[in-house]
Amino acid sequence: MKTSFVASFSRTLVTVLLALLVGGLIMQLSGKDAMGAYQVLWNSAVGSPRALANTLLAATPLIFTGLATLIAFKAGIFNVGVEGSLYVGAFAAAWVGFTFVDMPGILLIPLAFFAGGLVGGLWGLIPGYLKARLRVDEIVTTIMLNYVAILFTNYLVTGPFFVPGMANAMSAEVAPQAQLPRLMERSQLNISFLLALVVLALVAFLLRRTALGYEIQTLGTNATFARWMGMPVARTILLVMFLSGLIGGLAGAGQALGVHYRFVGGFSQGLGFDGIVITLLGRNTPGGVLLASLFLGALRSGASTMEMFTQIPRDLIDIVTALLIFFVAVEVTVPKVWKYWRGGSKTQMAASGSER
Amino acid sequence: MPYLEVRAIRKTYPGGVLANDDIHFNVEAGEIHGLVGENGAGKSTLMKILYGMEQPDSGEIWLGGQRAHIAHPQAAIQLGIGMVHQHFQLVPTLTVAENIALGRETRRGLFADRGVMRERVRALSDQFGLHVNPDALASDLSVGLQQRVEILKMLYRNARLLILDEPSAVLTPQEVVSLFEVLRRLVAEGCTAIFITHKLDEIMTLCDRATVLRRGQVVGTVETARVTPAEIARLMVGHELEPPLARKASAAESRDRLIVRDLQTGDARLQNTTVNFSVKSGEILGIAGVEGNGQTGLVEALIGLRPDAKGDILLDGTNLHGLSTRDRRKRGLALIPEDRNREGLSRPMRIWENLASGEYDRSPLNTGGVLRLERMRTAARALMERFDIRAPNEGVAVSTLSGGNAQKVVIARELATPPAVLIASQPTRGLDIGATGFVHEQLLNLREQGCGVLLISADLDELLALSDRIAVLFEGRILRIFPREEATREQIGLAMAGKVESEQAR
Repeated sequence: MKTSFVASFSRTLVTVLLALLVGGLIMQLSGKDAMGAYQVLWNSAVGSPRALANTLLAATPLIFTGLATLIAFKAGIFNVGVEGSLYVGAFAAAWVGFTFVDMPGILLIPLAFFAGGLVGGLWGLIPGYLKARLRVDEIVTTIMLNYVAILFTNYLVTGPFFVPGMANAMSAEVAPQAQLPRLMERSQLNISFLLALVVLALVAFLLRRTALGYEIQTLGTNATFARWMGMPVARTILLVMFLSGLIGGLAGAGQALGVHYRFVGGFSQGLGFDGIVITLLGRNTPGGVLLASLFLGALRSGASTMEMFTQIPRDLIDIVTALLIFFVAVEVTVPKVWKYWRGGSKTQMAASGSER
Repeated sequence: MPYLEVRAIRKTYPGGVLANDDIHFNVEAGEIHGLVGENGAGKSTLMKILYGMEQPDSGEIWLGGQRAHIAHPQAAIQLGIGMVHQHFQLVPTLTVAENIALGRETRRGLFADRGVMRERVRALSDQFGLHVNPDALASDLSVGLQQRVEILKMLYRNARLLILDEPSAVLTPQEVVSLFEVLRRLVAEGCTAIFITHKLDEIMTLCDRATVLRRGQVVGTVETARVTPAEIARLMVGHELEPPLARKASAAESRDRLIVRDLQTGDARLQNTTVNFSVKSGEILGIAGVEGNGQTGLVEALIGLRPDAKGDILLDGTNLHGLSTRDRRKRGLALIPEDRNREGLSRPMRIWENLASGEYDRSPLNTGGVLRLERMRTAARALMERFDIRAPNEGVAVSTLSGGNAQKVVIARELATPPAVLIASQPTRGLDIGATGFVHEQLLNLREQGCGVLLISADLDELLALSDRIAVLFEGRILRIFPREEATREQIGLAMAGKVESEQAR
C-alpha cells in the first residue's frame, strides 16, 4: 500500500498546479491579469519575514483541524464535526481567559488550552459514543452537532455572557496575561503555532509507535478483522473521537486566545471543514497535513494583500481551494471510473475480486 | 471441426501477472470438457475471456467455425455461451420462472406475460430433466436446486455451450451425483459443457476429455479414459503428489480441552437449536455440513463475537461465557477464520503488522503502550522463516501475497504460541495443493502436540483425511458424530442432507 513519498508528492504537486492553472484561466477570462495576481500573491505570502509570519499564522488553525480530521480518518471514522469542537473549545478557552483574571499567565494559558481541549474532546465523544455503542452513522451526527455548537456558543455570548454595550456577538476580552505571546512584532503569529507543531509530532508518534495507533490503523483498514482479533473497537472509537475533538478544541482555543482575544460568535468560517481538505491534500499523513496547511495558509494570507493591490477579489482563493478539492477528488475517483469503462460491463467489477 | 476453438490466448493483468500464456484448446460439440488446474493456474481468467468479462491481449476464439468477438457477456449470450457462476445470483423473493426470465421477460403490452414465461420454463425443465417447479420461490430452494435454476437461466437464453465454474464446491455428495446426471442429459440433448474444477475424481467420472492448466499455460489435454488420476495430478502440479498424510498416534492421555454445552448461537434463523460437543487433547474434531447450517454462528459464538449466545464453552475447564474475544484468545483459543481477507488479515497493512496483531498489546512487543517496532519486525522475520512465508521482506503489504502465503501469515500468527484449542474454519479454501498440504501438516502437528483442533470444512476429503471424529452440522445442530472408523462418504453425505437413521446424536 505504501506508495513512495516522491510519487505521492509529485502527484499532489500536479494537482496543485492544475488548480492554480484553472484559477488563472478564470482570472484571465474575467479580464484580469493572472500572472500579476499570482506574483502579488506569492510576494504577500512568502515575500518578506512578516508575510511569512502571516502565512504561518493562517496555517496554525489548519494544522490543528487537519490533524483532528486525520486521526479520525485513520481509524476509518469520517468526523465532520471538528468545526463544532472548535467552537465549543474556543468558548471554553475564552471563558477561562476572562474568568480567572487573577491567575498568572503561566498557569492561565495552559489552563485555558486544557479547558478548550477537554470541552472539544467531550463534544467529540457525543457522536463517538453514538457510533461505538449504538452504531449511529457519525457523518450525520457530527454534521448536525456542528450547528448545535455554532448556535449554542452564539447564544452564550448573546445571552448569559452578553457584554453590555457590545454590538456584536462576542464575549468579554480575555485577561491580558491570557493573550498568547507573539513570536514576532507586527504579526499576530503566536505560540499556538508552536503548540500545533508539538501536537503534530505527538500525533505522528501516536499513529506510528503506540498500541493505540496500531489499533487505529487496523480499525481504519479492516474493522471486521479488528473485531475478530479481539481489539477493543468501541474503546478505540471513543478515544479517537475524543482526541479528534480535543485537537479541534485546541484549534479554537488558539484562535480565541491568540487572534481574537475573546470568543467571537461565528468566527471560524469553516476552519473545521478545511481540515478535511487539508487531510485529503496531505494524503492522510501528518507530514502531508503540515505541507497542505502551509500551502493553504499562504494562499489565504496572500489573498487579502492581493485584494488590496490588484482588482482581484479574495474570493478567487476560495475558487482555487474549491478547484483543489475537485482535482483531489478527481485524482482519487478517475482511475476507478476509467477502469470501469474500459471493462465495459458491471460484471467485471463484480467479479474482479475472485480468482484470476 | 471442433465446436469451440481457443487459439493462442494471452492475457496479462496490470501489475504484470501473466494469467494466460498462449492458451490453445478445443471442445467438440456434445462433449463435457474438463478444465482443471490449481488455483491461480488461469482457469477463471480463461473463462472470463470466453464469457466476455475480460478481453485477451491477443489470440482468437472460434465458435462453430467462425471467429467470435466476445466484447461483453451479452455478446457471449447471443453466441449461445452461458456461464453458471459458483455464487448464485437469484432474487430470493421472486419465483423460479421470474428469476429465469428476469431481463428477458415476454411482454404483453406493458406487463410481463407470466403464463408464457412459466410454460417455457416448464418445457425446458422437462426437456432437460431438471425437475424444477417454476412457481417455487427462490428462497425456498436448496442449494442444488438453485444451481439448476441458474442452469435453466442460461438454457432460457438459448445457451448451447455451458461453462460451469466449480459447480460442485457448494453441493453435498448426493447433489453432486444428480448434478452430473443433469449435465449428461444436457449433453444428450445437444448442449456442450465446460466443467471447471480442481477435483480429479469429478473429471474422471464426468468428462470425456480434460485440459490441464498450470501457471497460465496448457500442459496437456487428456482423454480421461486413457489416463489415471495420478497422471492428471502430475500434470497439474508438475510433480508427483505427496503420499497421503501420515497420522501418528497422538498423546495417550486425553482430556477434554474444549467442551461446548447447550450452545445457542443467537442465530435468528436457527432458534431453539443447541450445539453440544467436546474436543479432546490430541484430537481433530471435524465439522461437516453444507454451508449455511450454522457454521458461521458456531465459530462466532466460540470466539466471542455473538453477545447473544447462550450456553457453556469450557476451555481447559474455564468457562468462556461472557468473556471478550481478546480474553478468549489470551486463554489459548486460536482461530483461522473462514474468510482470511476479511476476518483474518488487514490486507493494506504490512506482514509484520499483521503478524503482531495478536500480541501487540503486551510485553515484549509493547512497553507501556509504546510499540517495540524492531522486536515486532524481528519476531515477524522468525515466523516467516518458521512458517515458510514467501515474500521479499516483512515490510511488504499482505495484499501483495498469494492466497497461500496470506493464509500462512494467519497460521503463523495463530500458532506462534501453541494454542490450547485451534478453530480452523475452511482453512484450505482457495489454496493450491502445495499450500493445502502445508496447512494439513500444521493441523496434524498441533494434534500431536496435544492441542485440540476443531476443523470446520466443506471438503469431505479433507475431513476424512484429518479428523479423528466427524460431526455433522445440520440446521444448527449436531446431527451425528461419526468416529473415524465408521465415517464413510455416503453416511456423512446423507447426514449433511438431514437424513440420519434412528440413532440419536451422541
